[in-house]
Amino acid sequence: MAMTSETSQTIPNRVLGLYDKPFWQLLAETRALHLQRCGSCGAFRYPPGPVCHECLSPDYAWTAVSGGGSIMSWVIFHRQYLDLYPAPYNVVAVRLDEGPIIISNLTGAEPEGSWIDRRVEMVPVPIGAEILPRFALVR
Amino acid sequence: MSRTNRKAAVVGVGHTDWVGDWARVRAGENPTDINGYAAFAFIDALKDAGLKRDDIDGLICGPWNPYERMGELLKLNVRWGDNADAVLAVLSAVQAIETGMAEVVALVYGNDQRSVGTQYGGPQAMGGDAFLSYVYHAPWGLTSQGALYALMFQRFRALYGFEESDLGHVAVAQRASAQHNPNAIMQGRPISLEDYLGSRYICEPLHLFDYCLINDGGVALIIAEAERARAITDRPVYIDAVGRYDLNENATTLEPRLTEFYRPAQQKVAEQVFNRAGIGPDDVDVFQVYDSFSVHVPLALEGYGYCPVGGAGKFLRESGIGLDGKLPTNTSGGHLSETYMQGWNHQVEAVRQLRGGCGSRQVEGARYVHYSSDVAGKAMSIIYGN
Repeated sequence: MAMTSETSQTIPNRVLGLYDKPFWQLLAETRALHLQRCGSCGAFRYPPGPVCHECLSPDYAWTAVSGGGSIMSWVIFHRQYLDLYPAPYNVVAVRLDEGPIIISNLTGAEPEGSWIDRRVEMVPVPIGAEILPRFALVR
Repeated sequence: MSRTNRKAAVVGVGHTDWVGDWARVRAGENPTDINGYAAFAFIDALKDAGLKRDDIDGLICGPWNPYERMGELLKLNVRWGDNADAVLAVLSAVQAIETGMAEVVALVYGNDQRSVGTQYGGPQAMGGDAFLSYVYHAPWGLTSQGALYALMFQRFRALYGFEESDLGHVAVAQRASAQHNPNAIMQGRPISLEDYLGSRYICEPLHLFDYCLINDGGVALIIAEAERARAITDRPVYIDAVGRYDLNENATTLEPRLTEFYRPAQQKVAEQVFNRAGIGPDDVDVFQVYDSFSVHVPLALEGYGYCPVGGAGKFLRESGIGLDGKLPTNTSGGHLSETYMQGWNHQVEAVRQLRGGCGSRQVEGARYVHYSSDVAGKAMSIIYGN
């Protein structure tokens, strides 16, 4: 799959609400995935939001996560919808070690057979001036 | 637990000429607009019920038909009204009747999705204002609702050893049923399991035939308070039970889809509606499942207890959901092969099966029809009885 850095491209259709912006800013600045972590109960949350879904506390800190996780499911698109994604391309659902699920792409080598439960780690992929968090198989 | 639940009944159904609408739109014509489809369906339903327009005192419009404008267009000066999707429209009508806010409610729906090129995938994907999951993952190319079901199905089949060909039985059976339905857009175009397996992937593991049609048309229903319904018609179709349970927790990141496949919500709804109607899954003669994608069917079979968890593949292979199967399902062809009227056509088919007279697709002696909708983890059900 052609999923390497594409400098002339832009990340398509990001939802950029008040709480989403730091997620992308921190990625661009640090190349590490950060999630809000509740200041009261310690739960991580994604997508970003104003209160903790576990304890409703408004206190949080943007906290770097390990970037490790495992694949829950995957699909292969055979139709192009977006400039950045000529078909075929994959989408994976990754269960982060910290708890939340993140939807992303698997970049690099693809597993033989089922992808489910394969260990992956986050790879920061430059797209234009931004960083898109994708995942690669752990060797 | 008793028949005191029989507070409301369907007394009229109507719809536009889906086959004709399909042909005209594909030929580049615009038969009417979104409110026109709803209006023509309403006229048809009124005639079916043998009612006059002034008998209507409640109006629920589909999600895309503005309530006030529809009331104005049809000159319905009703005392109560709303906008809702198919299943919520029926739930809402029942609630209005039970609380005395209305006695005879018209439910009207129109859609011009084919002629205006409505996008359910891609950058302009609709529905994102209601469900963040439909748009949130676009930066990674996940834009279509079909892809959400593809992700769900990929994990489901891996966990339970469900084969690609097992899912094919859904599209093939519904297409076969559609051959007995003159209103089905795919009448005259049967498919085999080999056709299914040989068809192209849209979002793998889902094939072309796992996706619903996209077509224009309209549907209308008239629901009346039960006693009034018996005065209107000698074949009312009662709404014996309605139920709902939603899964919102971590819904944007697809947790309820990918961990338990919406099953907990469906199990709770099953308990509600089967208890209320005083029946069990074995008493259901016809199953109607909201099928924007074929995947809804195996998940609903398991969620509502028509087969054990993990048993949907075997059920589809051996028991069957065709007209001659153990549980005839989406007997009109459903969204895959009749018409994509976003759940509204399923209500029409439920009523017709319970009235009798469906010709070669009639399920003999049908007494109960179960309708299930699980759009985005909002599990809802209706039990119809005659």
